[in-house]
Amino acid sequence: MPILELRNIVKKYRVGKEVVTALNGVNLSVEEGEFLAILGTSGCGKTTLLNVAAGLEKPTRGEVVFRGVVLNKLKESQKVLFRRKYMGFIFQFNNLIPILTAQENVALPLLFDGVPPRERLIRAIRELDRLGIKDRRLHKPLEMSGGQQQRVSIARAFVHNPHIIFADELTGNLDSKTTHDIMRYLQQTIRERKQTFIMVTHDRDVAAYADRIIYMIDGKIASGEEGGGEQYA
Amino acid sequence: MKSYDLVTLANRNLWRRKGRTFLTVLGMIIGTTAIVVMLSLGIGLVESQKEQMAQWGSLNIIRVDQAWSFPGEPEENRQRRLTDEAIEEIKLIEGVLAVSPAYEVGGEAMLGRKIGYISLIGIDPGMMELFEFNLAHGRLLNEGDKFNVVAGSMVINSFYDPNMAPGYWEEPPQSDPLELLDKRISFTLMNQRQQKRIYGLNVVGVLSDKSMEHAWSVFGPLSEVKKMRDFTMQGMGSTPGDPGFPPGKDIVVPDMPRGDARAREEEQYSFALVRTEDVSVTRAISQELRDRGFNAYSLADSLEGIEEQARQIQAVLGGIGAITLFVAAIGITNTMVMSIYERTREIAIMKVVGASFADVRALFLAESSMIGMLGGAFGIGLSYFLSYLLNKYVGAMMSPGMGPESAPLQISLIPPWLVLFALIFSMGIGLLSGLYPANRAIRLDPITAMRHL
Repeated sequence: MPILELRNIVKKYRVGKEVVTALNGVNLSVEEGEFLAILGTSGCGKTTLLNVAAGLEKPTRGEVVFRGVVLNKLKESQKVLFRRKYMGFIFQFNNLIPILTAQENVALPLLFDGVPPRERLIRAIRELDRLGIKDRRLHKPLEMSGGQQQRVSIARAFVHNPHIIFADELTGNLDSKTTHDIMRYLQQTIRERKQTFIMVTHDRDVAAYADRIIYMIDGKIASGEEGGGEQYA
Repeated sequence: MKSYDLVTLANRNLWRRKGRTFLTVLGMIIGTTAIVVMLSLGIGLVESQKEQMAQWGSLNIIRVDQAWSFPGEPEENRQRRLTDEAIEEIKLIEGVLAVSPAYEVGGEAMLGRKIGYISLIGIDPGMMELFEFNLAHGRLLNEGDKFNVVAGSMVINSFYDPNMAPGYWEEPPQSDPLELLDKRISFTLMNQRQQKRIYGLNVVGVLSDKSMEHAWSVFGPLSEVKKMRDFTMQGMGSTPGDPGFPPGKDIVVPDMPRGDARAREEEQYSFALVRTEDVSVTRAISQELRDRGFNAYSLADSLEGIEEQARQIQAVLGGIGAITLFVAAIGITNTMVMSIYERTREIAIMKVVGASFADVRALFLAESSMIGMLGGAFGIGLSYFLSYLLNKYVGAMMSPGMGPESAPLQISLIPPWLVLFALIFSMGIGLLSGLYPANRAIRLDPITAMRHL
């Protein structure tokens, strides 16, 4: 059974007086443990697809089914519980809380889940250690480089052992060396922990790390192909 | 989210913008101080007035005077006479603890070489304690006493030296009440037939100066004073006036039938004191007695006017404070709304990583109520300080000046309940001011907010 299924998703926005169709009948099935890249130019609706798939946005029509549960029919309070338990998120940049230290940022999902301070700190430090920035754990986001900040974001996305992780242009602001390191890390971690990873990017080189790549054009999936993920493994 | 995490997070958010938080808290401090100090002035006013009234007598005691009848007055307008029957009737009124009838006679008195005019009141010695006769020196009356008396604190000032120049008397010297103790006063009574009788009264006790109501009288045993009064009544046929009226002055009222007047006077006590259970019922009983036709009066009667006046003053003062507090509350709301604009992205991130609506709302409400509480706490501190200054400087100027040892007037009084009220109230104001911003934060769509930089 697929972990996530999108059935005939339509998403329309109202921009001023005009109605823009961002997604126009998308069908997608994601298997457990899959590393999926959604590739497309800006404005093709890939970010909207990710948001709808994660339950952050409601589709105008269609169904999002996560492990047999229709996500878009749930109430906000129920969706929050799904996000806390099963989902991790990584965004492009600047998505850390400025007043919190690196380790506190990483521990944030655990805080909202009611995990006691000591336990969540241990888990946050373990995650930062895996990413090689344990020594920066007491720094605030503004005291860190872009690469370090993005590593903290990744640690936060993984700290609560989610089943599925959504990433939106996670390497958008990084140099190629850091991008490579981070993508390798993600590949390994996902495989080790048997997690599912869905990533949106406009960068073919980044998409190449995935198991499967989907091309999107004008709110539709144009085609899919096997990614080059194996070649780096 | 656990509550300690909530408090920690709210606290850190609050101090990320120290200047702004400080200013918002300052607004709250001023608001709380305004309302606390204003209310404390109102409370101080009532309390000091009550205290002053207590100096003039007890608020649990009603005085019922003998009936005064005027010739030609219609029967239904006449006051009830203070007979034994009437005393028994008063005793049965609910809330009345005891009734003590009294006789009063007045006459010339001599203390050594000084002369004066005193009023001697006969009361039941057993009742003195219940009627709040506070002793300063000596003892109260006992059952066996005949010509032993207790003097009020000012009685000593009724005596003057006849050999002194008359002008001197206009500024009566304040003599020590203790001078009277264990002295003998010779008390002269004269009846309507110009017959004189002289009594030797031993002063066994002097009352404290707290009670002004008893200050100018001398108190003796009821049975003896009744005999004295009976003597003064002898030969009184045509005077329905005060039995203790200065001797030798006849008021002729031709319309009054002789026998009737005399019988009426003899039947009556001069006055009676009614002790009530509590200040709260005194006013009602006093009114009840007047409704029944008695000539009743209590200090508590005027309390209503004072309380009403104080309520009005308090409403005005409280209103000024409330406006200040309201402005402070708007300040909190403004700060929180600004804070949401600044933290739009953060709020979105928190929502994405698992913060529920309740968590976000709780965070903003916690921040705003912390501002309120901080303002409240420091405001109370500042209020105490202002209250102290007000009492020390303004209060001292307004001191009633009853003797050199009188304490400065407490014009501002902060009772514990006001502190509690201010704390809870300021926190409530903070909470209330945070409602609107918190709901705005909840409605924030994380996706739109994420695009916000």
